[in-house]
Amino acid sequence: MTSLAERQPGGPRAQAGAAGLGGRAAGAVRDFLRKTSRVGLVLYALGLGAGLGLVSADWATRGRYPFGGVTVGPWTAWPRAGAANADPYARAVNARRGEIPLAVGEGLLLSATTDDEGRALEAGCSYSIAGHTPPARAWTLTVTGRGAAEPGRPALRGGFTSTEILRERDGRFVIALAPGARPGNWLPAPGTSGPIRLALRLYDTPVAAGTGSLDRETLPAITRLGCGA
Amino acid sequence: MRIRFLYATLCGLVLAGLVHIVTVLAIPLLSDTDALSRARGSESLDHPQRLYALSTADDPAPAEGWLPTPDPAVALGVCAYDLDDGPMRVSARTGAQMLSLAAHGRRGAFYAVTDQAAVRGALDLVILTRSQYDEALANEDDNEPSRDVRIVAPERQGFVTVRVIAALPSQRAAANEAVQAVSCTIDSPSEEPGKEPGKEPVK
Repeated sequence: MTSLAERQPGGPRAQAGAAGLGGRAAGAVRDFLRKTSRVGLVLYALGLGAGLGLVSADWATRGRYPFGGVTVGPWTAWPRAGAANADPYARAVNARRGEIPLAVGEGLLLSATTDDEGRALEAGCSYSIAGHTPPARAWTLTVTGRGAAEPGRPALRGGFTSTEILRERDGRFVIALAPGARPGNWLPAPGTSGPIRLALRLYDTPVAAGTGSLDRETLPAITRLGCGA
Repeated sequence: MRIRFLYATLCGLVLAGLVHIVTVLAIPLLSDTDALSRARGSESLDHPQRLYALSTADDPAPAEGWLPTPDPAVALGVCAYDLDDGPMRVSARTGAQMLSLAAHGRRGAFYAVTDQAAVRGALDLVILTRSQYDEALANEDDNEPSRDVRIVAPERQGFVTVRVIAALPSQRAAANEAVQAVSCTIDSPSEEPGKEPGKEPVK
């Protein structure tokens, strides 16, 4: 009963340990219940339903797709996000953002917000993104920061395509994601600080039809090399 | 009293679940910031509306589009259609760059095709309703089979996206042009000979 009493809107949020406060809250609720009529309870139920329903719907359709993700190492794909049989949450997320996701026959988007060890990607750190990509006719690997671009910052490279990247002798590639210039495939960090996000878009790929063939060997590894200057 | 309060809370939670489900389902229908609503402006054009143009040397800063996370190497255009006006024909000539067309309805993408499906350098995608499809089949000349890719749309309204990948920065201007070079036209019955039996065929 105490836990229900605490859910009363407007009532003080009693801590489990603070017996005095909890008692007072329970007393206030008992007073409220004694005074309130059936109308009050109906209003309370309606308010609870509308409030909780709207807030939870907003929370579930904000940001990333809540369901249907396929995670391989640091990379996550939502292969059905753009399909006609996408789940209602993915459709709501797309509608709110104005996103046009890649269709299944077009390609697949894989995104990463952490490195291989699960630490969040930071604009101030340097990373190496190395390995292979799944078979695709073309791919692009891009980095984006959060929010608008810093004003006055020169527009540097935002990503690599499969054609322009420099490869090792065995076909692998190594991208250096760092704030300062690096030799080889340097991908400048989009800002000086804050979270960043990597997007690997595979175009015209058989992987989009069945993500079961994705494994850590076929996707580039993201390794943190160091942070700060 | 306690029972009634418990009952009211339970009712509230059930109501919250219903409100949640209805809200999530209603967002795509009511949203005016989704891709379909924003693409409506391209309905009167006969070429794709430019959604994301690649930055080139002549124009280093492309106009900010509303697309949340565009690929900086892919030029994107949309053609909105309303099948009440007639079947939608999207014609693309393939070039050196990779091109893909995807047909989206309100529920999501229902078809996608890349330039690898092109016949002799031409890709013709025709989006129609079931009755328009039957009509097109009935009017087809057996000796001259159509090379069109015919797709029956689940809804009457939607849009076709055109994506062209610029593999190298020097190809970006060409990619922007390739998107604009795609034509999106309404197949009006009078333009095709013998399409409507009542009307005089136009030669």
